[in-house]
Amino acid sequence: MMFNPVDIILSFVLLSVLFSFGTDRVLILIKLLGFQGVVISIIPFFIGHDMSTGGTVFTLATLVIRGFIIPLSIFVAIRKGAIRRVVEPIVGYHASILCGLAVIIGATYISGRLDFGSVSGFKLLEPTAIALLVTGMFLLMARRNAIAMVIGYIMMENGIYLVGSGLSVGTRHIVEFGILLDVLAGVMIMAVILRNIKQTFDDVDTALLRTLKD
Amino acid sequence: MCQFFSSTFIILLGGFLSLVFARQKKFSKVIAVLFLSGGCLLGLLDAAAKLLNPAGASASFRYLDLFFLSFHVDGLSAFFLTAIFAVSLMAAIYSFHYMENEEGGIKTGVNYFFFSVLIASMALVVTAANILSFMISWEMMSLSSFFLVIYSHESAENRKAGYLYFVFTHVGAMFVLAAFGLIYGHTGSFEFAPMAGVPEAVKILIFVLSFIGFGSKAGVFPFHVWLPHAHPAAPSHISAVMSGVMIKTGIYGILRIYAILDFHTPVFGYITLIAGVISGILGVVYALGQHDIKRLLAYHSVENIGIILIGLGIGMIGAATGNPLVAVLGFAGGILHVLNHSVFKSLLFMGAGMVLHQTGTRSIDALGGLLKGMKITGTTFIIGSLAICGLPPFNGFVSEFFIYMGSFKAIPVGSISFAMSVFAIISLAVIGGLALACFTKVVGVVFQGEPRTKAAENVKENGLAMMVPMGCLAAACVIIGVFPKVFIDMALTAVQALGLDYGRVPVEPFGQITGNITFAALLFFVVVLIVMGIRSIYYKNKTTTKSGTWGCGFTQPTVKMQYTGSSYAGSILEFFSAAAPLSEEHPPIKGRFPLKTHYHSHVNDIAELHMKNVVVRPVFYLFDKLRWMQHGDIHLYIGYILLAIVLLLFFI
Repeated sequence: MMFNPVDIILSFVLLSVLFSFGTDRVLILIKLLGFQGVVISIIPFFIGHDMSTGGTVFTLATLVIRGFIIPLSIFVAIRKGAIRRVVEPIVGYHASILCGLAVIIGATYISGRLDFGSVSGFKLLEPTAIALLVTGMFLLMARRNAIAMVIGYIMMENGIYLVGSGLSVGTRHIVEFGILLDVLAGVMIMAVILRNIKQTFDDVDTALLRTLKD
Repeated sequence: MCQFFSSTFIILLGGFLSLVFARQKKFSKVIAVLFLSGGCLLGLLDAAAKLLNPAGASASFRYLDLFFLSFHVDGLSAFFLTAIFAVSLMAAIYSFHYMENEEGGIKTGVNYFFFSVLIASMALVVTAANILSFMISWEMMSLSSFFLVIYSHESAENRKAGYLYFVFTHVGAMFVLAAFGLIYGHTGSFEFAPMAGVPEAVKILIFVLSFIGFGSKAGVFPFHVWLPHAHPAAPSHISAVMSGVMIKTGIYGILRIYAILDFHTPVFGYITLIAGVISGILGVVYALGQHDIKRLLAYHSVENIGIILIGLGIGMIGAATGNPLVAVLGFAGGILHVLNHSVFKSLLFMGAGMVLHQTGTRSIDALGGLLKGMKITGTTFIIGSLAICGLPPFNGFVSEFFIYMGSFKAIPVGSISFAMSVFAIISLAVIGGLALACFTKVVGVVFQGEPRTKAAENVKENGLAMMVPMGCLAAACVIIGVFPKVFIDMALTAVQALGLDYGRVPVEPFGQITGNITFAALLFFVVVLIVMGIRSIYYKNKTTTKSGTWGCGFTQPTVKMQYTGSSYAGSILEFFSAAAPLSEEHPPIKGRFPLKTHYHSHVNDIAELHMKNVVVRPVFYLFDKLRWMQHGDIHLYIGYILLAIVLLLFFI
């Protein structure tokens, strides 16, 4: 049985997914996010695309942004905003972990039916990508703390990046760069919204937004 | 094709620059008018040249590596392009002085920007050669005109008009899209090419769907409800373009679909003809009952769309029954009426715009005696009125006469066609008569008599840029009427593009007859003018006294001793009260010393009335029941997205 590095790395990512379902601390979520960012960014090196200089620089830039800049900026935001550190779940932790298992099983099932047109030979690439997407969605849905929701959003984007990095199209870098810009813009917008929520409600509990309904 | 694209580019550039320099109001306006009119002129020359020396041209661009955006100019497109560029050219010049009172440079800049987008997108709509480019241009056209309608967004009425237009145009686009979907589903290609091997039932369904979709843009009864709201809301030069040419893109769509379907059944003809007759008669009846001059003109657009559809219907019947002469006469009449209507309707809207600009009111019964101060506006408005009534020697006569002749030729074809063509002839006559009644009302009440309110007193006309286009359009009415041959040839070129392959049908004699009639009418006008000239020479040194109109020898006449528009139209409206119920408000006069009283009347549009009950209420009821979905909880909103994704991934 041959071990290939990509699948090993991806299995770590899947574990981090499960971990993120079960944790109650925002700080841990941020660390997980950083870990995923680093790990996902180095995958293109192993996947067998011939890396040009530009490609290498680009991949390293992605690594820095995903792995360090975004998690750190969220960390700073928490520090400065004196935001509470608990994720405030809507779905309980045990139920969440169970959901996580269901997500991974579902993702594996789905990836068998979908054809991304990606590089074959990596069993975990597509399941992990889908699992990340759904995990992000889950965190957006089931956590009331706005920071946890931002993290969920970025996790979703990680999943999309993973799909993109598997694709063997010529314009891969352009697509990935587009995604990266998307993330940055999304995070900035969320920061502004967070500030507003904090100012208005003196908390970042997104359930409070319900009162805005007309 | 290069000239066409450069002209649309110049137009768009003009609009963009006007937006950029919006702060320097005068400069931005000058730039916009120069670029817009220059681009339109270039496009007009190109289109007219293509029409006189028929030559097709096409171009296509690859978009996103996925599909092509292709454009093609054939006779039909060139004909519509001629109308579009001609009217837009005049409207652009007209706008220069019309927009002078507006404060706020940004607003003017935005207006010119959307105006340029509207012109360019109309030109692209009639040249689009596949479904994608057509839909993109169609949406651009709908949206830009929507923003132009809500130009005066301060008034709630205008916002409502814009909303109504938005709903109608998009429901219409939905029908068009459904028709295109069927086409794509059966041919597997986005191209507008004649369809072969598609079941006839599907072709009929496609025609009906697209007829409803394009009909809602063209203002076919009962989909015309937006028209009388949107036209008065927009600035007058925009009303001129929208009513003059934009609604004609609906007619173009119907014709293009007809050409693509390549299926000649009398059913299409019957549908088109009956829709035309209903729109024609009801349009003019509702027009008679209006008190707002621009609303009245908007209803006349419904009427003229009806006349165009009658012509096309006769043409389709002729084509289906294998009667080339009927087909060509009907189609040529209908298509020529597109050009004619765009000329005189934009002229009339410009005249109404001048009146609105100088008096500040659109209410017919508040005006009066304007001809004394507004010689050019009044004269051109009268010319436009005569043309829209279809009287010789003006252009409306030429196209309507062709439709008449087509209908008469269709009488011996078959029993149903007999009934249809007699129906068409009678209704054309009714429409013509009612239109005449309506425009005697407008001209008589607005331009003649004595001023009824302060607003109409001592009104002068000014603004050279407003008068020149009106003069040009009035001249065009006369030229097309007196020398119809060139324009008939243009219409015939357009008819050939429908792919009926009859070769050239000898219609010259009919053109000749038409020309003779209009020439005789012109002679009559000349004789009248000469007599008037002789009279003025005779009376040169004699004293003439001038007194108020309707003075009737009263020593103390008041302006209230005049016919009003409502009283003039009242008896005709009574006859049509089944289709146009009149709601009146008139507190009765009681006692020896009666209190002040008033009279208010409003003609109810039955389409509007029933649409409210049959469509709007149920839709509101249904969506009211769905309000619980909008609960305000962001987590559940994200849940909706997740649910959609899961459903798509697992089950599709």
